[in-house]
Amino acid sequence: MAAEKHSMSMSKKKTIVNTISYIVLGLISVIWILPFVFLLLKSFDIGNTGVTKNFIPSAWGFDNYAYLFSSDCNFLQWYFNTFIIALFVCVIQTVMQFMMAYTLSRFRFKLRKPLMNIMLVLGMFPGFLTMIVLYQILKTIGLTGDNAVPGLILVYVASSGMGYYVIKGFLDTLPKSLDEAALVDGANRMQIFVKVIIPLCKPILIYTVLTSFMGPWGDFVFAYTVSLGSQAGMNVAAGLNSWLSPANIGSHFTHFCAGGVIVAIPVMILFLFLQKYYVEGVTGGAVKG
Amino acid sequence: MARVVLKDVKKIYPGNVEVVHKFNLDIKDKEFIVFVGPSGCGKSTTLRMVAGLEEISAGTVEIDGEVVNDLQPKDRHISMVFQNYALYPHLTVYENMAFPLRLDKKERVMELSDSEKEDAKKQIDALEAQAKASPDKAEKLLKKADKLKDEIENGRKQKGYTNDQIYERVTSAAKVLGITQYLTRKPKALSGGQRQRVAIGRAMVKDCKVFLMDEPLSNLDAKLRNQMRAEIILLRKRINTTFIYVTHDQTEAMTLGDRIVCLKDGYIMQVGSPSELFDMPANLFVAQFIGAPMMNTAECELLKEGAKYYVNPFGHKLVVDGEKAKALKDRGVESRKIILGVRPEHIQLAKKGSANSIPVEILVNEMMGSEYHLHVQTEDGTKLVVRIPTINLSEEERTHMVMGEKINIVFEGKAMHFFDPENERNLLVDEIYGPEAMQLELEAEAKAKANAEANEVPVEDPVPAEEEKAEEPKVEEPQVDIQEQEK
Amino acid sequence: MAQLTDLEYLKLNKAQRFGLKFTAFFKAIPGWFKNLGIKIWTFMKNFFWGVVNFFKNLGLTFWHGDWKTKVSYFVMGFGSVMRGQWLRGILFFLFEVVFILYMALFGGKFLGQLYILGQNESSMGDDGTIVYGDNSFNILLYGVLSLFFIVALIYTWYLNIKQNKIGEDYVKAKKQLATAKDDVKALVDKDFYKTLLALPTLGILIFTVLPIFFMILVAFTNYDKSHFPPQNLFGWVGYDNFGLLFQWSNSEGASFSMTFGQILLWTLVWAFFATFTNYFLGMLVAMLINKKGIKLKKLWRTVLVFSIAIPQFISILFVSNMFQYPDGIINGILSAISGGKLLIDFWGNAWIARITVIIINVWIGVPYLMLVVTGILMNIPADLYESANIDGASPWQQYSKITLPYMLFITGPYLLTSFTGNMNNFNVIYLLTGGGPKVQEYYGNAGKTDLLITWLFSLAVNDTNYKLAAVIGIMVFIVVAVLSLVIYNIIPSTRNEEEFQ
Repeated sequence: MAAEKHSMSMSKKKTIVNTISYIVLGLISVIWILPFVFLLLKSFDIGNTGVTKNFIPSAWGFDNYAYLFSSDCNFLQWYFNTFIIALFVCVIQTVMQFMMAYTLSRFRFKLRKPLMNIMLVLGMFPGFLTMIVLYQILKTIGLTGDNAVPGLILVYVASSGMGYYVIKGFLDTLPKSLDEAALVDGANRMQIFVKVIIPLCKPILIYTVLTSFMGPWGDFVFAYTVSLGSQAGMNVAAGLNSWLSPANIGSHFTHFCAGGVIVAIPVMILFLFLQKYYVEGVTGGAVKG
Repeated sequence: MARVVLKDVKKIYPGNVEVVHKFNLDIKDKEFIVFVGPSGCGKSTTLRMVAGLEEISAGTVEIDGEVVNDLQPKDRHISMVFQNYALYPHLTVYENMAFPLRLDKKERVMELSDSEKEDAKKQIDALEAQAKASPDKAEKLLKKADKLKDEIENGRKQKGYTNDQIYERVTSAAKVLGITQYLTRKPKALSGGQRQRVAIGRAMVKDCKVFLMDEPLSNLDAKLRNQMRAEIILLRKRINTTFIYVTHDQTEAMTLGDRIVCLKDGYIMQVGSPSELFDMPANLFVAQFIGAPMMNTAECELLKEGAKYYVNPFGHKLVVDGEKAKALKDRGVESRKIILGVRPEHIQLAKKGSANSIPVEILVNEMMGSEYHLHVQTEDGTKLVVRIPTINLSEEERTHMVMGEKINIVFEGKAMHFFDPENERNLLVDEIYGPEAMQLELEAEAKAKANAEANEVPVEDPVPAEEEKAEEPKVEEPQVDIQEQEK
Repeated sequence: MAQLTDLEYLKLNKAQRFGLKFTAFFKAIPGWFKNLGIKIWTFMKNFFWGVVNFFKNLGLTFWHGDWKTKVSYFVMGFGSVMRGQWLRGILFFLFEVVFILYMALFGGKFLGQLYILGQNESSMGDDGTIVYGDNSFNILLYGVLSLFFIVALIYTWYLNIKQNKIGEDYVKAKKQLATAKDDVKALVDKDFYKTLLALPTLGILIFTVLPIFFMILVAFTNYDKSHFPPQNLFGWVGYDNFGLLFQWSNSEGASFSMTFGQILLWTLVWAFFATFTNYFLGMLVAMLINKKGIKLKKLWRTVLVFSIAIPQFISILFVSNMFQYPDGIINGILSAISGGKLLIDFWGNAWIARITVIIINVWIGVPYLMLVVTGILMNIPADLYESANIDGASPWQQYSKITLPYMLFITGPYLLTSFTGNMNNFNVIYLLTGGGPKVQEYYGNAGKTDLLITWLFSLAVNDTNYKLAAVIGIMVFIVVAVLSLVIYNIIPSTRNEEEFQ
């Protein structure tokens, strides 16, 4: 009798716990999704273009989207700029980080530890500290304002070697005997890198490409500084942010929302497809620091 | 197909940690040599120095008469099989095995295969026919034909390998190893044993002078290991090149090696054939490392009474007979303290009260199938292990082989080993190994140096160098002694 | 107290063990300092002897060297070319030529003025146009660049001499020197790392090291709105800017030191809460999703990952406007619920703003943490829980005795980096509040939610007060460095990087 009662309460308890769990998870999902639903709803609001109390549009329509693609604004230019920047950055940055990570993972040379320590220390300086100087350097070579796109690419990729940690963490898990076997088999170091190591790095390669592609879409600080008010040189973040200035927000908030949706969609699709690799990279990177 | 000579090879890690001390070894052409020792003895390090994966801190390594210290692994004409196989996960088995061939871009003269010879012959015929048809071009065409003829005779000059040659080599190696049906698979889809074969295959396809194996079987389970061990013996017959094989497993060492190099803490403890190491271990370490279960030891005295020798372990006086007694006599060994060593398989059951018999109590009986491993204790508390074949035991005797039972054992006098308690050396072996040998060598060097300085002969003069050599004691290069013995 | 053996330690109860550890910790402190002292001392000693040996070697090499080597002291690469290593030689020589040309034509004049940063002020010409004088910014920037160049030259010069020494030794030993072909081959083989490192390190040198060096120097100048080149000069002021940090009373109202102190405090508080709320809530969500018996795991995870995919500036800016007073969506909902009575000015009140920021940061950070934690949770051996179950551990005990210690051990370094990362979490604060609410009592238009990093940004961009921005930047560095150093030495998971290989 007692045993039966006990098992009854066990399964009952389990059901209760599970039900609570589902309720909590549902609540969490709602909280995390809701702002994006509001964003989407707001982007269809043509009744009031400013910030409103209501999330249901007072009048529905595609006007906000139409505005983005009209000649009244530079949204397409910003979008194109960001896309070009992201494309270049994801290629160059991945290459640079792989070069750095492979070297530090596989070669033992005299300056290896000092180099790693220096990069660690440099990483402790706030990034914006250098912004003022970089702006001046870029200005000297004429890569600010309207020409901000190549300038921004340069700023993003130049020091990207410092972000080698995640890739190195991955490379460190590849057995060294693979390198040694290839060495005995007659490969030189470059052949080992290209023919053995790189093909094995597919997951982390995709992760690096993905994150470095997404970076420029969200960067505001450098894009804002380097383009410095030039509509032709802005990326989406700087451009859309300019619509939220106190002077513009009343007439442009819904445009911002529509722009946000347009920006988010391709990045999101890419992300959801490559989610697996992203998760692998994030966990690996965090565990190995 | 090469002699490998290691001369005074040292490995010193940063922080002045010396893990291999003055390693001297002369490996003959086509010899199968096994480095064996407990983990951390420097066996793998030494192998990796031969391979070029580890820098040689001091001394030289010669392969086929060429000092290879400064050569990259790829230029040393070696093949290597790694403990964890080191197969390229992204390549198929075929591509894994073809990898070294594809990378090889050296110029070489290759003998033509039969089909190629056929092709060449056909071409020659065609060329000659053409030459007949058009006399104005005849000279050029005939030259071409001559070149082809020469190629049939002497082989064709080429850089690297052609696709056909790679296919030929990989498939024939795969056939030997029985992995033909897996050639299109990736390593991930293979079992441990199959991976091991692929790793061996990859090392086989290459033309190499020395075949290095770094604990190739230690990642396999026991059953597979036995099987692969037999296959390696067969393989060795087929490849017929110089092998250096590293293992921590003394069974592998005994079954595979022509000669075994037993190492401890970076010192060579003995070099010799398996039977030498088993029958005449140079020191207590080798005696206990080789053979399973481990050799039993007991501190006692060796007594010389007239022409006869006795030992007195656990308070029993036992006579030493056979060759051992003769050897002791020849060396004029007097009464002294010793460590007596007897292998478990050289202890037998005895009837109660028979001569030389020792009563013991059984502590544990491990039934191994064909034999019992009896852990027993003598009256004075010394623990011994005894191997008793089960086949000769009667049913009644077997029932007695249980814990707490008392039995009688007897040592075979001819199978006793006598070690010096001070330096643990075998009293019947002349060669000195290990730290002691190195100490002697250093002393000799210092002496030679002092002599040279005393004579104040210029360093360039070759004469003192010879003197120096002459003064070196015989123990300095043990392997020379053994070679002489073999001759 | 005598040293306890391990077995004696095991006999102690919890309080005694704690006491023991507590005293041991403080007893160890002098040891730390001693070790630090020894480390510094050995470093200094090594450094000193390094320098001495450097010059000794230079001298000896010159003294014993042949004429080729001697010429190489003045014409770099000469010896290498003469010994047949023409590729190295020519590169050495080219570098020397480039250096001389740079100094003569460009760098020299900036370097010469580096000590004073320009003397001639810009002035109005007779015809009303501005006649520009010296540009302090350029002098400082190119002066520093020239210094870098000089260091590079000294290093290459040293390499060049070392090459000569090696060359001589090889010739003496009748060994073959590496030819140009060998050099090129080595660059894809033995020295492949040099090839790989060339570009990334050059980038870091020019775009990180040089600017940081420059900004550190700016902290010792009076570079601000009223000293702004090319109209005005700026000059060295020594430690004056740092002195402001310790000037408690300020006649001009808001003091820099007080503001700095307050903002630093809030930065640390923020970093603490931002890190640990995310960490524990992320862990909670991850454990909830990964709980046995929960279905649709992938869906729950994807919902959260979804929010990572959207660029932060969109989500944060939108959320910031959702919390707008009085027109934001949140206030709309609040007033609908309360019938118009309850409206909250989220960004207007310091404490409400601070709490809101931390809460919104949970929304931003938890999905990411959930991913991290999930990965680690999967790696905890299941048999640990099975054995704990058999031992009769409750779910809470399992969490506190197995999961949490394991997580803390593995993620120790990650927590540290995420703490320092949060200290510098520009995006969240800047895009949410812009640092506001701004208050008069703060110096330089700083606000109550400003972090040091956002304050630095607004000082630099809005006020062009570069000297103080530089000071703040350096202070941030110092705080981060000290924290990292201390915490890294305390956490147990100091890993050996070779362990995995």
